[in-house]
Amino acid sequence: MSTLNDDDRANLSAYLDGELDEQTAHALEAKLHHDADARAEFEALKRTMGLLDYLPKVEPSPTFTNRTLERLSLQTLQTLHASSRSTKIPVRPPRAWLRWAGWAAAVLVALIAGAAAGHFLTRPAPASAVEDPLIENLRLAERFALYQELDDFEFLEQLADLFEEEAGS
Amino acid sequence: MTGETSSQMALRDPDIRLMLRVRDDDAEAFAQLVNLYQHRLVTVMGHLVGSGHEAEDLAQEVFLRIYRARKKYHPKAKFSTWLFSIANHLAHNHFRNRQRKHSVQLPGSESGPLGPRPAEQLVHDRGPAPSQRLQEQELAAVVQQAIGTLNERQRVAIVLNKFEDMNYAEIAEVMELTVKGVKSLLCRARDNLRVALRDYIYMQDSQTTEEVRDVDAQ
Repeated sequence: MSTLNDDDRANLSAYLDGELDEQTAHALEAKLHHDADARAEFEALKRTMGLLDYLPKVEPSPTFTNRTLERLSLQTLQTLHASSRSTKIPVRPPRAWLRWAGWAAAVLVALIAGAAAGHFLTRPAPASAVEDPLIENLRLAERFALYQELDDFEFLEQLADLFEEEAGS
Repeated sequence: MTGETSSQMALRDPDIRLMLRVRDDDAEAFAQLVNLYQHRLVTVMGHLVGSGHEAEDLAQEVFLRIYRARKKYHPKAKFSTWLFSIANHLAHNHFRNRQRKHSVQLPGSESGPLGPRPAEQLVHDRGPAPSQRLQEQELAAVVQQAIGTLNERQRVAIVLNKFEDMNYAEIAEVMELTVKGVKSLLCRARDNLRVALRDYIYMQDSQTTEEVRDVDAQ
């Protein structure tokens, strides 16, 4: 019958982790030296810990980083959009680039209106879908309201660059 | 790291420096942290929750939380300690939600890449001896199942000690325990594992003996 008590057993585990101070380690070694049952228990514990070496490392999927950045980008947009809709405090005055964006929006609306008028009046056949100004600017027009809410567009641009790098690598 | 200033910590820990750049909205620094820690984080989560898909979801959530908390980041510990503290909280929430849903999915279930074969099929199969690699895979499955018999805290302590090579003080910080509490927790966890794996502890010895007999007989 082993002479080890509960404290000794906890010390055995800590001994294998290198967590015992020198004095406690020496005392434990002396007990093991004189007690064959204690040595058997120690050996079983050591082997049990050795079996953990068979646990595999779990590899993330190759797209993990890209998907994480994508999810972050989406959440950031959603959060900004939701917070600007729900806030009752006055919206901060737009920064210079937003004033520029407002001007650009006015120009865009004029362009689209002009293109639409020209499109329906003359009905030219565009050489390709990309050349049609309506389609070319549609994405910008669709998301313009959302872009207006952004406070940190530069960060999103950086994320977009990273997406492209990840996709290319 | 107790008593050190943020600057001193940043000097010693390159990951803290990266996180301070994330605090300043450096997207590239954030991507670097994701790249640096994804393998370790997914491994830890994988062994805690079992399913590869859930492990990745939880790992992603850890990174997202780190990003959301970036403006309030003031290093008080190693970056990895902070990261795995968040991971521990998320794993805990996951276990709690799983219990509420009365899910029967155990770690190492067949739905994930860690799916084990039933333990009774292992070792006692007296057909032709499987290859060494197959034996190792089966043993991995058995060990994974044994990990699944531990309670949540024992599992976290074992996984952090094994895969992150954390000492007791680091585990204590991640799990918000005392060092003595971690020592006791690991002892109980290993005792439970020893019981769960009692049929396999000396398996390598008996296999070696059989191999020697086979060679002698030839």
